Amino acid sequence: MNNVKPHILIVDDEKGLLSGTKRLLESEGYITYATESGLEGLELARQNELDLALIDLKMPDMNGIEVLKEIKKIQPNTVCFIATAFASYDTAIESTKLGAYSYIPKPFTPEELIHQLERGYEKRLMILEAERLKKEREERLLEVAYEKTRLRTIINSINEGVLVVNKGGELVLFNSSAVKFLDLNELYIGDVILDILPSQISGLIKKYIESDDYLPNSYSTQIDLRTNRELCIDATCSPVPDTNGKLAGIVTVLKNITEQVKYEEIKSQFVSMVAHELKAPVAAVTGFIKLILDDSITKSKVQEKDYLNRSYTRLQGLIAMVNDLLDISRMELKNKQREIKELDIIPLINSVIEFMEFELKKKNIKVEFNVNTSCTILKADQNELNRLFTNILSNGIKYNKDNGSIKIDVNRSGTYQVIKIEDTGIGLKPEEKKKLFQEFYRAKNEKTQNISGTGLGLSIVKRIIDSYNGKIEVDSEYGIGTNFIIYFPVGD
Amino acid sequence: MNINEKVKKILLVDDDIDLLEQHKIILEAKGFNIITAENVENGFALFKKEKPDAAIIDLIMEEHDSGFILCHKIKRDPFGKTIPVFILTSATYVTGFKFGASTSEEKEWIECDAILNKPIVEEELLKKLEAFYETLRK
Repeated sequence: MNNVKPHILIVDDEKGLLSGTKRLLESEGYITYATESGLEGLELARQNELDLALIDLKMPDMNGIEVLKEIKKIQPNTVCFIATAFASYDTAIESTKLGAYSYIPKPFTPEELIHQLERGYEKRLMILEAERLKKEREERLLEVAYEKTRLRTIINSINEGVLVVNKGGELVLFNSSAVKFLDLNELYIGDVILDILPSQISGLIKKYIESDDYLPNSYSTQIDLRTNRELCIDATCSPVPDTNGKLAGIVTVLKNITEQVKYEEIKSQFVSMVAHELKAPVAAVTGFIKLILDDSITKSKVQEKDYLNRSYTRLQGLIAMVNDLLDISRMELKNKQREIKELDIIPLINSVIEFMEFELKKKNIKVEFNVNTSCTILKADQNELNRLFTNILSNGIKYNKDNGSIKIDVNRSGTYQVIKIEDTGIGLKPEEKKKLFQEFYRAKNEKTQNISGTGLGLSIVKRIIDSYNGKIEVDSEYGIGTNFIIYFPVGD
Repeated sequence: MNINEKVKKILLVDDDIDLLEQHKIILEAKGFNIITAENVENGFALFKKEKPDAAIIDLIMEEHDSGFILCHKIKRDPFGKTIPVFILTSATYVTGFKFGASTSEEKEWIECDAILNKPIVEEELLKKLEAFYETLRK
């Protein structure tokens, strides 16, 4: 017997036998609950966890069989013995039917009793162990069920489409994103879906299914599911092995890469545009140098000097363009690391005007600066705002006529600082206005021929304003002048 | 065949005035009479007025396909049909996108007679002018 003491209930109306049995069992290490009454026995059974019960068959207040029945109701796992001096085959059968473990005929020797009880206690331990295992198994089943629901929830919450088929090509698991990506109305577990899937995907899956060996690699393909890059999908198929390392199924993960594809396209367009714009001045300078070096072409000293001057101008333009491009790329980084703080826009604009003084004087352009509000504080990165007003003002000077003017008005409208910059320059034709903010766009007409520029200044302005969720409007009349109205969010 | 007898006056259209002038100087030194324009509109007006013997048009001007548009306009003109019209471009190097006007399919949508690399190399121009009259004779 192990360290744990078995708890035993003894019910017997024979006082002497009861106390004798109690003493014997206590000396053997049992914890005993002894009573002469059946009813009290039941009460003890209600209050204490019992491993064993030894019940006398004949008692004045209650039949032993009744006591057995009741105890079994209260504690079904208690191992019960019926003890009786009137041993009969029938009572033995009846009591076992009612759940008694065994039957002890009276009188019994202490050895007989101990031997029986020890066997009974072993039985009790087995019952408890079986109970524990049963409970554990039930808990585990519950856990598996939870696990399944959890897995389904997780898979359904993924933006990527997930699709698992077994080696028969039948659908085993999928999520709602997969249904959405594949433009399918409904999908059921067990569907044979190879024929429904886009051929590029089913082709990959078949590769695994039809192979004699287990293919451990994943394969990807990119599919334009609708026309015109409306929905581009990256599908990656990977094998799922069973416990023996053989193919159990194939998991396909579908990723929406539409934005990425579009972005790549814009990027490569931008790069080829940059290349074209950078090449033009280089080609012009190369051409001039070739003209000067070519002895077969007659030209005067004055012409040669002109070629050199023009080469110089083109190279200056090239440097300006490289600087603008660097600014643009810096700005894209800066979105992440700009310094946003409260700024008073009035001294900021004043400092930009001061910075432009030389250019203003050269063309004798007057600046009129009106502040029509007391609210002039907004939240922004100082360098970006400097760049913004420098670019707009320098355009206002560059495309202005001699003795012209620039008028700046600052207002506040709701959560916007409204800055209006009006010049008396050459203005824009309607078709030019539309493209004004495009990279590298420069209005090309008889009046702009001799003005140099990179075609990036206003595109930088637009990028800055857009990054603050602001707005810029342009109003212009060809030959009269141009107004820019900036709506800049004040920030909270 | 002496090209200079067939082709005397060439219309050059390019929005880069430096390149326009350089090409003008080089080709004038080879004995051609060069007339120039800086955009599609003026280019077409000059074509109508001057009736040149050939036209060389820069591809990327106001728009990325300005050259093709002017080319179409000239080729739709009864006189324009009879003269060689070349597209001038360095786009093939920049984009790696190869296009020519050699197959009949390409000729159908690019209505020019040849693509010239920028800057103009005299030998290439003469070869392509000769090729134009060669096919015309056949």
